Amino acid sequence: MTAAVATLVVGIILGYLGQRSRMCFVGGIRDFILVRDTYLLRGLIAFGFTAWLAFPLAGLVSGARPGPLGVSDAVTVVLTILGGFGVGYFSTLANGCPLRQHVLAAQGVRSSIAYLGGFFAGAVIFHSWIAPLLFRLLP
Amino acid sequence: MATIATSPTGVIPERAGAVRVTAVQMGIVAGVLAVMAGAFFEVRPPEAYGVCMACHARDLLNWTINMLARTHLTVAPASLVFPVLTPIGVLAGAVLGATTSSEFRWRSPESSLKTFVYGVLVMNFALLAGGCSIRLLLRAAAGEALGMVGFGGMVAGVILGTFWLRWRATR
Repeated sequence: MTAAVATLVVGIILGYLGQRSRMCFVGGIRDFILVRDTYLLRGLIAFGFTAWLAFPLAGLVSGARPGPLGVSDAVTVVLTILGGFGVGYFSTLANGCPLRQHVLAAQGVRSSIAYLGGFFAGAVIFHSWIAPLLFRLLP
Repeated sequence: MATIATSPTGVIPERAGAVRVTAVQMGIVAGVLAVMAGAFFEVRPPEAYGVCMACHARDLLNWTINMLARTHLTVAPASLVFPVLTPIGVLAGAVLGATTSSEFRWRSPESSLKTFVYGVLVMNFALLAGGCSIRLLLRAAAGEALGMVGFGGMVAGVILGTFWLRWRATR
């Protein structure tokens, strides 16, 4: 229950700030390549840098050590690279990362609402067909 | 708040007095909140799970389907008892931001069928990688090797996608 309330509050804050700042987590790299605009890229770097600083600090305060990192085999590494590549490529074509699409949908962009429909349908498709298929095909 | 007469280049005109937030400010707040949600508010396991649009949307949807249809679709351990509500929060927050600044209006810049397919593809690849663009960076920042690899893949994908967009536009 704590997690649900916390993520709802975090979501509202991020949705509001994301709407006000037009933040996008793939748009920064795209804008930099296309027009050398660093506005969104600085946001992306700020996020990564802040999280990188905050993880050890939060670990000190809460006293929790990060859990043991699972041993990753070659297949997992390849799937992660492939997955990351697909996220980046298709998010660029779709004109925004998933967060940006949520924000656009809330601003009344109909194609982003259709994107969210596909996004949710995609989760069901993945767990109903893609994941079982991968489990069968991969060693 | 003082009304600023001149606006930065490329910013669409907004209602006077609307709150301005830069991407850097948003990034810093998002970084702090994402880490805090995982460290202090039980949004774990897995590690570095504070904010993820793809995994949290998956958890919320699969949890709801499991409740209604008594199925056993995958949800992350953090969402077993009650699901994470990030997608609903983001939508609510963005509606709040759009209506308070009079930026809400219906429009359809692209074909809905095309973006629907993009949505399906992005979700599938994100679940394959174990995170959307936000969580891949979050995992990389947490020092997870797989997260760094996935984030590297994402950067490569964005670069290739951008070159493809430019090639298509100049053809």
